[in-house]
Amino acid sequence: MTSRRLGNWLGLAYALTVFAFIFLPVAVLVLYSFQGGRLPVPPFDGPSLKWYGQIFADRKLMSALANSLGVAAISSAVACVLGFLAALGLARQRIPGAALMRSVIIAPLTVSYLIIGLGLLASLNASGFRPSLLSVGIGHAVINTPLCFAIIYSQTGAHQINFERAARDLGATELRVLWHVSAPVLAPAILASYFLSVTFSWDEFIIAFLLSRFEVTLPVEIWSLLRSGLNPKTNAIGSIVFLSSVLLVFALELLVFRKRGNP
Amino acid sequence: MELRKAGIFFAAVSMTATAAAEATESLNALVWCDHTDPALIEPFEREHDVRVNLKEYEGTGTALAIVDQSRPGDWDVFVIDGVDVPRAVDAGLLAPLPADELPTENLFPELVMPENHTRDGVTYAISEKFGYNTISYNRDNVDPADMTDMSVIWGDKYSGRIAVYDYYLPIIGMVALGLGINTAEISASDLPAIRDKLFEMKDNSKQVGEVVSSQTAIATGEVDVLVGGGEWVTAGLTTELPELDWVVPEQGGVRWSQSIGVFAESEKKELALEFVKYILSPEGQARLATSSCYWAMPANMAAAEHLSDAQRAALRWNSQPDYLARSQLYPAPDIELDAMMQDVWTEFLQR
Amino acid sequence: MSGGAWTRERILALGFVLPALAWTLVFFVAPFGFMVAMSLWRRAGAELVRDWSLVNYLGFLARPHFVEGLLNSIEIAAIVTAASVALAYPLAWFIAARVPAGWQRIALALAIVPFWTSYVVRSYAWTLVLSNKGVVNEWLTSAGLISEPLQLSSTRFATVTGFVHFFVMLSTLTIFANLKQLSPNYARAAADLGAGGFQTFRLVVLPLTLPGIMVGGFLSFALCLGDYITPQILGGNNELVLPQIIMLQLGRRADFPMASALSIILMLTVTLAYLACARWLKLERA
Repeated sequence: MTSRRLGNWLGLAYALTVFAFIFLPVAVLVLYSFQGGRLPVPPFDGPSLKWYGQIFADRKLMSALANSLGVAAISSAVACVLGFLAALGLARQRIPGAALMRSVIIAPLTVSYLIIGLGLLASLNASGFRPSLLSVGIGHAVINTPLCFAIIYSQTGAHQINFERAARDLGATELRVLWHVSAPVLAPAILASYFLSVTFSWDEFIIAFLLSRFEVTLPVEIWSLLRSGLNPKTNAIGSIVFLSSVLLVFALELLVFRKRGNP
Repeated sequence: MELRKAGIFFAAVSMTATAAAEATESLNALVWCDHTDPALIEPFEREHDVRVNLKEYEGTGTALAIVDQSRPGDWDVFVIDGVDVPRAVDAGLLAPLPADELPTENLFPELVMPENHTRDGVTYAISEKFGYNTISYNRDNVDPADMTDMSVIWGDKYSGRIAVYDYYLPIIGMVALGLGINTAEISASDLPAIRDKLFEMKDNSKQVGEVVSSQTAIATGEVDVLVGGGEWVTAGLTTELPELDWVVPEQGGVRWSQSIGVFAESEKKELALEFVKYILSPEGQARLATSSCYWAMPANMAAAEHLSDAQRAALRWNSQPDYLARSQLYPAPDIELDAMMQDVWTEFLQR
Repeated sequence: MSGGAWTRERILALGFVLPALAWTLVFFVAPFGFMVAMSLWRRAGAELVRDWSLVNYLGFLARPHFVEGLLNSIEIAAIVTAASVALAYPLAWFIAARVPAGWQRIALALAIVPFWTSYVVRSYAWTLVLSNKGVVNEWLTSAGLISEPLQLSSTRFATVTGFVHFFVMLSTLTIFANLKQLSPNYARAAADLGAGGFQTFRLVVLPLTLPGIMVGGFLSFALCLGDYITPQILGGNNELVLPQIIMLQLGRRADFPMASALSIILMLTVTLAYLACARWLKLERA
């Protein structure tokens, strides 16, 4: 028993060390967002809220924030709808060539974002479209559709197919089945995939960087902030993104996941 | 439910986006990052009720790449390195400017550069801002006397304490000056010797970085010498870090200058010209000189009255005659030599 | 089964699949095909020349500093993958086996909290931690352990640290998920058969969690290989990885053909890694 207890203590010590490593940059980031002077390095001479004041007064940063939210919400909705329909279609019926279709839909997951962005940019230039938030959104829907498909597809099964069949036997139209049966049955998977997509889109840099022009998303704006002057503003916006994301996750955990599952 | 909400949200956001896009007239400008300071742009936007869309780039190659990928009429205003204006004129990118509406007679004489800005008596661009890529250093930690000789940048005396600004043109220019080659005369046959010195420099340097990481490195004491630095790195920091200094070495320094012009394909040439005139006005020049991305000398001498004494001191207004006399322009390679220089630079980074 | 009659249901199902399929074909497969074609063209001066050749691929092989970029990428990705999995496994195991069930979700959520910082900002935060005046050097100096600051920033070490930080979180998730699927019966059976703690781990638990390790490991390797931001912010340009070289081609000279060729080389590398992983996994199962 003692060796097991020793093992527990060692394990705990190890876990705490790794946690310290994981939290170190975040702690430093947040701490120096309250820096008083211009340089976000020791010694700490705060606390001061002036950098927070500056980011809220920064028009470009705030519009980038709005752009990011819009692109994430819309591109994820597109990805979710496409993924959901494809998952239903492939789960319900054996279609000739289903395996091939599955691999085509999944394929973007296996290619790095840089390459997806480069391909889209080259095609965009060749076809005469201008880069914009729309092209960023398309890029993000491309990377997130396979994700939504995979998550929703993994949750389809006999259970949901039987429900659909019963509804159809009762005379429901295909659209009603979709809306009143399939979607609610798969709601947890749809929701999970939607929020995962939002997260990925929200944080995605390279596609947004390559495919945008005047209107940019937050990571791209932060990137240019990083290149245009060292100051704790970057810490402040980073801290805000961090805290709001954590709050969102926490709220989701309470509102969505607690509802089911917990006794 | 979620889907319906998403649908409504989608419609709402796309309508707002369209509405916002059509609200006011807009002007599209391709610029270095110093033009993105709201303190510079907003007065013009208010006065003309226009939205200025800015796309920043670093390096003429990048700018031309962006233009290359655009449709005709996409761009209205072009800020470009003075030495590269002939390239842009050759490519037919720039529209003629009405010379009589520009404050050319108020510019520092060295910045008029008619051989770059005019062709066959037609003016295509005008200088707006200039500065030097030289050696910045921390006075407390190095011997200032060492900094007056260009060879310090590849010597090993300050090994591990040197940062290099990641832009191939000025740094290759500085190395060329150190080797006694005029920047305007660099040819393919000089590249091997330049390459050797670049590699020596890389072996002694701690990092190669862009504007901010270079600033960070020297401001936080990460390094004590910044190759390619100058007032554009340190002028904005002098109040907090008075020990940061810079010098034009005996062999001379590399002078950079930005010019501004109007795109030939622009559909808003009059508004674009107004923007050019605003940037060249004394007030515009003072704001540009002290803009958030980097400080540097305004091309228009009339800006002096709109700058404080401290600002003029940080910009070293009074030393300009001496600096201007001892500095040479950026190298302006043709496209083949440019590709060779970039290749050498990539090799330099990889070393 | 396949190839049967096109019943109404089948056509309907196909109709459901078509939007996603069309979307992927138009916005992923076609651009990718265009990129492959582009990689066989070339840029001469300011012009795009559409003659078909392998000149960009040969150009890659002819430039040692490009090839070195690929090797740097592979080396860094390999180090990062190994370090991340090695750090993450004990943590995942501790959470799955030693943390009381009610607390596991919270422990796991805590382990991935920094995941929610913006990706660009995370790398930037590491520069603050690792710089000469950063907190690590300050602590070590004030503890009297060092007199001169350690050169941590602008090095490969910094790049690897930034990457490992991210992938420890990711691998902890995949390995934890795998560990939770294991029935405790396996371990109990092994113990009944007389296996000690370490033997049980080596012979039973470890092989059964290989899928989690491989998933986390492959994801780390592939994502690491394709990343531009982390080495660009943390590496100080003291060595270049392939994505940085691709961005140089793109950003400084709009050389799309060369950038495309380099991207395809990058992708082939990831594919090879995938094939290696997949085959190895299959052998283990047989």
